[in-house]
Amino acid sequence: MSRPDRREHGQIRALNCVLGQLSRTDGSAQFSSGSTSLLCGVYGPIEARLFEEKIDRAHVDVRLRPDIGLPTTKDKWAESAVRKTFERNILSHLHPRTLIQINLQVKEGDGGVDAAAINATSLALVDAGIPLKTMVAAACCAVRADGEIVADPTEEEARDALSIHTFAFSSTSPDDNPVYVDSRGSFTMEQYDKCYDLCAMTVQRILAFMRTAIEGK
Amino acid sequence: MVAEIPPSSIEAAFVLEALQKGVRVDGRGLYDYRALRISCGPALGMVEVQLGQTRVLARVSCEVTRPAPERPTEGIVLFSCELGSLAAPGLDNGPRASAQEVSVSRMVERIIRQSRAIDTEALCIMAGEQVWTVRIDLHFLDHAGNLVDAAAVAAIAALRHFRRPDVTVDGETAIIHDPRDRNPVPLSIHHTPVCVSFAFLGANGQLVVLDPALLEEQTQTAAFTVTLNAHREICALNKAGGVPLDAEQIGRCTQVAVTKAEELIDAINKALVQ
Repeated sequence: MSRPDRREHGQIRALNCVLGQLSRTDGSAQFSSGSTSLLCGVYGPIEARLFEEKIDRAHVDVRLRPDIGLPTTKDKWAESAVRKTFERNILSHLHPRTLIQINLQVKEGDGGVDAAAINATSLALVDAGIPLKTMVAAACCAVRADGEIVADPTEEEARDALSIHTFAFSSTSPDDNPVYVDSRGSFTMEQYDKCYDLCAMTVQRILAFMRTAIEGK
Repeated sequence: MVAEIPPSSIEAAFVLEALQKGVRVDGRGLYDYRALRISCGPALGMVEVQLGQTRVLARVSCEVTRPAPERPTEGIVLFSCELGSLAAPGLDNGPRASAQEVSVSRMVERIIRQSRAIDTEALCIMAGEQVWTVRIDLHFLDHAGNLVDAAAVAAIAALRHFRRPDVTVDGETAIIHDPRDRNPVPLSIHHTPVCVSFAFLGANGQLVVLDPALLEEQTQTAAFTVTLNAHREICALNKAGGVPLDAEQIGRCTQVAVTKAEELIDAINKALVQ
């Protein structure tokens, strides 16, 4: 069964990114995967509020705003996805008692928002010069009702899917365990393994894309 | 969170001194707008406006709801304007909206709502039962001075760019057509109001500039915004607080604003045609 936008099962949408567009932030990146587009602006290291200050490391704060309507639990989940992915990845012990504030704005949301948020944040942190252990990229895939596994589902495909999986991997080695995993819906372990492999492959392509984008800055 | 650091006294003095010689810090003329770029789409009702470095994103959406009981034949227009921590460091520090967010939000909401730009009666599907609720979300992406003018352009351009699903009313039932079956239709917009903002600097507000950049806005002693449309009608005037200004100054600024508003509206029309 073909996909609504006639893509192959393993084909992701066109990637696009622009770095350093914003004038007030320390670093920013706009990342789009087809019609899902997010803008990330990073301030840091900046002064932290007293109650957030940590004596031996930087505090990482993530805020995500949706394109339409007021923030809901879905957006809070995306915030937590980004925070969990980067809390360990940022070398926060280099900047104790400071704050690294990651601001995300969904410009257009059409499936795979969590993954795009992680990708936009990765690029924005590099643009801001925040020290990181590795680059991180994320990809999303869905298991359709007919059992087919499709990469980078649109909102419509995600709605009708039996399960959706988001994986984030770091750039050090493809054999490394994922940095972030989010699987929801009902699925078999065999399907999970196929999604894992598909996303791992997709993430490598996204990391290569990010590398080209940063080198071309 | 870093509090917004005000400009140093050297910077403030430099802006004033340069203006006294008729020179603006970024080399513009006193009544020149910064470069305006309006990008519409790809989604319907999505417009991003760049005025110099200031960036605003507007998204318009709609859904079918029950009307307000006291206005059964009118649609509803909801407005959400967020000046969050992305736009500048030190913003969005607490649960309550900051004074600046409230003032920008109110000004833009006023020009859309009170100038009756949108025909709310045309949003009625079935009186007393179903109406369209149009929602405008404004997101400030980058605060580099003069948020109001950029936000006003973004809001009205997004409303004109937006298309709502087509509806046929057959006696007692209303059929809302999927955009894929029938082309969505534009909203009924009466006119295109835009804001033109001025900043007054100096102890008595004697120096005036159009479209203040960030540094000029931070050192201003008074501000004045005129809202106009293409028919040279004044929809709103806003001078809240600041040093008292000469009535003649206000008159002169309004004259300048008429020409500038035409330029802004031209730019919006051109961007929407593409």
